[in-house]
Amino acid sequence: MLGILGLAGIGIVAGKKIDGALGGVSSAVSNAIGVPLPGDDEFRYYTVTNGYPVVPADTYKLTVDGMVNQPLRLSLADLRSMKRTSLVHQFQCVTGWVVPDVHWEGVRLSDVLERAGVTSEASALRFFSADGLYTESLTLTQAHLPDVLVADKMLGTNVTTDHGGPVRLYVAPMYGYKSIKWLNRIEVTNKVVDGYWEDEGYPADAWIGGSAPVSVVP
Amino acid sequence: MTPDSELARFDVVERLVHWSTAIMMLILIVTGAILYLPALALHVGHRGLVENIHVITGLCLLGPLALGLAGPWRKRLVSDLRRLDRWRPSDFDWFRTATRRSGLARDKFNGGQKIEAAFLGAAMVAALVTGVIMRFAPSSWITWATGATLVHDALFFGIVVAVVAHVAFAVSKPEQLFSMFNGRISRSWAKGHAEAWLTELEAPKVEIPSASEAKGGLAGPAARSAP
Repeated sequence: MLGILGLAGIGIVAGKKIDGALGGVSSAVSNAIGVPLPGDDEFRYYTVTNGYPVVPADTYKLTVDGMVNQPLRLSLADLRSMKRTSLVHQFQCVTGWVVPDVHWEGVRLSDVLERAGVTSEASALRFFSADGLYTESLTLTQAHLPDVLVADKMLGTNVTTDHGGPVRLYVAPMYGYKSIKWLNRIEVTNKVVDGYWEDEGYPADAWIGGSAPVSVVP
Repeated sequence: MTPDSELARFDVVERLVHWSTAIMMLILIVTGAILYLPALALHVGHRGLVENIHVITGLCLLGPLALGLAGPWRKRLVSDLRRLDRWRPSDFDWFRTATRRSGLARDKFNGGQKIEAAFLGAAMVAALVTGVIMRFAPSSWITWATGATLVHDALFFGIVVAVVAHVAFAVSKPEQLFSMFNGRISRSWAKGHAEAWLTELEAPKVEIPSASEAKGGLAGPAARSAP
């Protein structure tokens, strides 16, 4: 009994290193048997509604409204005609699991906001998911970080439905729950409105490690 | 005593602790699988709700055991826990093939049950600690949360294996399974499987649980709460 507890203690304290060391092997086995394994580098799939929404890519529209000069309805083609940004960075869940070196590609959120023209009284954003329930928020300052993407590609391909495709948010310096899936509307507001996990007690300022970091994109 | 008489194997407190813990373990395994396995996570969804059921059940898991140990009714439970924690040479017979056994008189619990108890006891505590870190630790403890997740995920597999083994053994031995419902077991079973325990029970100086206690157990709340 003490042996198991001792192992658990070591696992908690040294787990980050063990997790990193196990990553490749554990992922290979996990992929082979189709079951997630402790320490693998695989995504867990979260959805808060009954199943998940399937959003057709060809009719997709991203609405940008609220305190803007020019409300937008952007198709996937519109997003792909804008200035593209790609980066490789981890996806870190607040509960502990982490997927290192994930490829992300899309349009900087700041570029989308610039196109809509944010009015002077605006100070925050509210994000909506096509699942009809999940919402998230950022302050306008956070939204202007260069590593916050409206992403339509990840892992080298179009964002798949289970990862939140066709379009999701990716907020690199924050925990995964900020990177809302099935993104279909951005409302520009003058206050931060708590989203789904904030209502469950998680912080709105979800900096990985607890404090604002150095940006991952120079 | 006649050969067919019955012995009190588990009292009401032990059975209540067993079945309430078992029901919570089942809820934890089912909700844990939904949270952990992608195919289930995607198709069941409702993550907030499933997570809350899992976390609240997990926080309550050790409650029945704590209550069982909290009052004068704990006597039998404490004695059996001590027994599970004490290894005797005869316990190792359980791991040996028939021809290599020592043949010593066996205890109330065999080596497999003692291993099971030690593992599940430790796993429950470890899962509680790592689960609390995952859900309630401040977000600046992310390094520890990663370690806690690793341990919690590994425990999922260990606990599933241990529980499946436990249930499989129980179902394959109906008399022992039934004694977790009515608290009693035949003297002939004890003679064949737990002779050292039987000897203790029937030794003049050892307190023998009365027949009225066993009957009270049958009509008691444990019998009603059993699924």
